[in-house]
Amino acid sequence: MAGPTQPRPANQHMRRNPPIAGEQEAIDRAREGDGRAFETLYAMHKRRVYSLCLRMLGNVAEAEDLTQEAFLQLYRKIGTFRGDSAFSTWLHRLAVNVVLMHLRRKGLPQISLEEALEPAQDDGPRKDIGARDLTLSGSIDRVTLERAIENLPPGYRLVFVLHDVEGYEHNEIAEMLDCSTGNSKSQLHKARMKLRDLLRKGQRKEQIA
Amino acid sequence: MIVMRAMDKTMTCAEFQDVLPELFEARSDLSGHEHLKSCENCAALVRDLEYIASQARLLLPIHDPSPAVWDNIQQAIRQDKPEPPGTAARK
Repeated sequence: MAGPTQPRPANQHMRRNPPIAGEQEAIDRAREGDGRAFETLYAMHKRRVYSLCLRMLGNVAEAEDLTQEAFLQLYRKIGTFRGDSAFSTWLHRLAVNVVLMHLRRKGLPQISLEEALEPAQDDGPRKDIGARDLTLSGSIDRVTLERAIENLPPGYRLVFVLHDVEGYEHNEIAEMLDCSTGNSKSQLHKARMKLRDLLRKGQRKEQIA
Repeated sequence: MIVMRAMDKTMTCAEFQDVLPELFEARSDLSGHEHLKSCENCAALVRDLEYIASQARLLLPIHDPSPAVWDNIQQAIRQDKPEPPGTAARK
């Protein structure tokens, strides 16, 4: 598998990838085969890589397996890092590729076939918006949102996590998922609509309780 | 074209929601949209979707993998190469 392509610089990525003290030295030493430097890089980036895997997969065991795979690939490919983008951006893209390869191997339908990106009809946008007494603004805490994301259908979750959480642009997502930019946009919108449904249902349950 | 049509105040909720993804992508300020001035349901929808996207951007990496992950990485590296990087440095 080829190394991750260098992502297009984007403000969001830049904001999410501030320089980490000591990172450059650890990279240089790890490229020369220093195991402790590699361990330092792992300590710096394990949380972000694992969180990405967990959000994309929604499964702890798989997320740990792929975190391991991502860092093993890093170990093998760190010599190819050219520094065109922030190291964390490069590593992040490597981890995304690892997850997508895993999903393709599993044969999950959300990859490759655009038609398969479309979940069931009833998951689509609703023209009937429903009761107007419930609005979400100001009411979602982080845990609630994380849980709702976990409950998204896999195809929706992938696009939502990549775009809204991780900050990738639609053209990058389309390239990663082998679908059209329009499809990525459509999936994102449906994902947000589905999240809104999930969050509103949660609110109603809380009110009843 | 889509955006121009979207400014038509006669559009229905279904028509508005059909163009909503493009309006979001265009990063349009929807607060002054003609349809929203007269449709509280669609206005609430737009507020909610904007809120969800804004909250998602604030999510931070909060999960740590178990220590077993690093143990497995070390073991795999050892199997990769007879002399793992750093071994010499530690001696």
